[in-house]
Amino acid sequence: MKEIHELHFPETVRYAHDHEWARQENDIVVVGISDYAQDQLGDITFVELPQEGDFFEKGEEFGTLESVKAVSEVFMPVAGEIVAINGELGESPRLVNEDPYGAGWLIKVRPTNATDLENLMSANEYEDMLRGLE
Amino acid sequence: MDLGSDNLKTPLHGWHTSHGATMAPFRGWEMPLWYPSGAVAEHLAVIEGCGMFDTSHMSVISLIGPGSFDLLQSCFTRDLDSWRQRNGGPPRSGRAAFGAFLNDLGHVIDDAVVFFLALDTYLVVVNAGKGEEVCSHLAACKGSHVFELDDLTGKIGKIDLQGPNSARILAKVLHEPERALLPMSYFSFKGHFDEDSPLADVFLKNGAAVLVSRTGYTGEFGFELFVRSAMLGDTWELILAAGKEFGLIPCGLAARDSLRAGAVLPLSGQDIGSWPFINHPWPHALPFNEDGTGFTKDFLGDVVLGKRNSAEHTQAFAGYDPRKVSVHDPAVVLGPDGTDLGIVLTCVADMAIGRVGNRIYSVVSPDKPDGFKAKGLSCGFVRVRHRLPLGQVVELKDKRRKIRVEIVEDIRPDRTALRPMSLMIERRGVGSDERDS
Repeated sequence: MKEIHELHFPETVRYAHDHEWARQENDIVVVGISDYAQDQLGDITFVELPQEGDFFEKGEEFGTLESVKAVSEVFMPVAGEIVAINGELGESPRLVNEDPYGAGWLIKVRPTNATDLENLMSANEYEDMLRGLE
Repeated sequence: MDLGSDNLKTPLHGWHTSHGATMAPFRGWEMPLWYPSGAVAEHLAVIEGCGMFDTSHMSVISLIGPGSFDLLQSCFTRDLDSWRQRNGGPPRSGRAAFGAFLNDLGHVIDDAVVFFLALDTYLVVVNAGKGEEVCSHLAACKGSHVFELDDLTGKIGKIDLQGPNSARILAKVLHEPERALLPMSYFSFKGHFDEDSPLADVFLKNGAAVLVSRTGYTGEFGFELFVRSAMLGDTWELILAAGKEFGLIPCGLAARDSLRAGAVLPLSGQDIGSWPFINHPWPHALPFNEDGTGFTKDFLGDVVLGKRNSAEHTQAFAGYDPRKVSVHDPAVVLGPDGTDLGIVLTCVADMAIGRVGNRIYSVVSPDKPDGFKAKGLSCGFVRVRHRLPLGQVVELKDKRRKIRVEIVEDIRPDRTALRPMSLMIERRGVGSDERDS
């Protein structure tokens, strides 16, 4: 397991308490899990994602990540409609471990509330929260 | 993560943490779950190349004295008379046997591997945290038997070197490797971990006396190595360096668990426990006679034979993808019409296997289809009230989900544990044309 200072928390994304990240791309929000979350889970072996067109509230469970250790839920950092899922993860679930902020993204969401993203944490705030968990 | 301050640590604990291992408490010990390479890579390394495990948390008990054999005959589930020579001569040392210690109800106190070192001299290896309980049990079974017990846990370091390349690696670090290894068959061993013992005739190049046993808990070809605790760190580094050219990596408990489940091996306290030790996939751990109608000896717990018509059945299963259920929820087994058939004991993912049509292939199956990619399958054991036919599909259900699985006799195909030693020293890589012998 890595120390927090060894983990990567880019400032280009916002972070949720449940360790998802969200990044604005035009009018769409891309969602994944943080470097801390993937490190805690260990190797991801299977990813269950919703269907395109599904609607979820903020904080609602939208899928599961199966790791060698356990099954973990992932929660919506923003409310909205699923407009895309990362189909690559079906063949290569380990992308979530290898590139959590890039090729390991999970879903793309058309947000229903623009302020949801603003209410998430900055990289510094998220890192402070993690240090509080230690 | 606070692991608590009262967990025991093996002499390699500092090595594990300084090499980035994710640590977790396990039965009173703080042990590596996986290293930075990840549990999937570790699982695959043992099947395709080689992996090494720090298993110094296991309990090692010395049993010495003229009553030792009779004690084991009276309370271990294997008939050690089978070690006698065909001409009726005394039992041959250097053999090991897997079995269990049962209470008078036939429930499992723990499973064990018993090593026959010399006349009246045995080593009993049981699970982490179980040494004291098994010692107490053996002492309670004493009767008129004369013997001495010594719990060596903490004094002995143990490394499991597992995988098809393990003999080639071990040969590099042993003095006189061919003399030590070549005649060694499955479940036999040589040497001793105490250099002052007259049995100590196998040595590593760092000078450590070693007990080398062709056993393990992965279903793959390999060894368990016992050395004095003081030599553990140096021996670990020696083997790791020798194994570099063979792709050897350190492996944690997560890979150990998924490897053993795929090899249909039980975890004590989870797959065997406080219920009758009968109607399970390990009949070889009981002293059945040739036609399976009775036992070849009397032993504590042999009442299980009379329970086999009424006791529950433990059976292996394999799923259709790597999704698991949590046995801690607990998870139940449902029949086709939704009837509750029993409970799930173990459910893990073996990431080296996958299904094509009705068959399960492993990444090393010689006849795997072109382009085969193992996506992993959930697997493990269920305990059900009535024996289910092989091939029956049932559902496993926890609080979250249901998954479909098939009741099977075996899980991960083309395992290497039984391969002849001669093949495993001379050839590189995984054999492509031999099956388990």
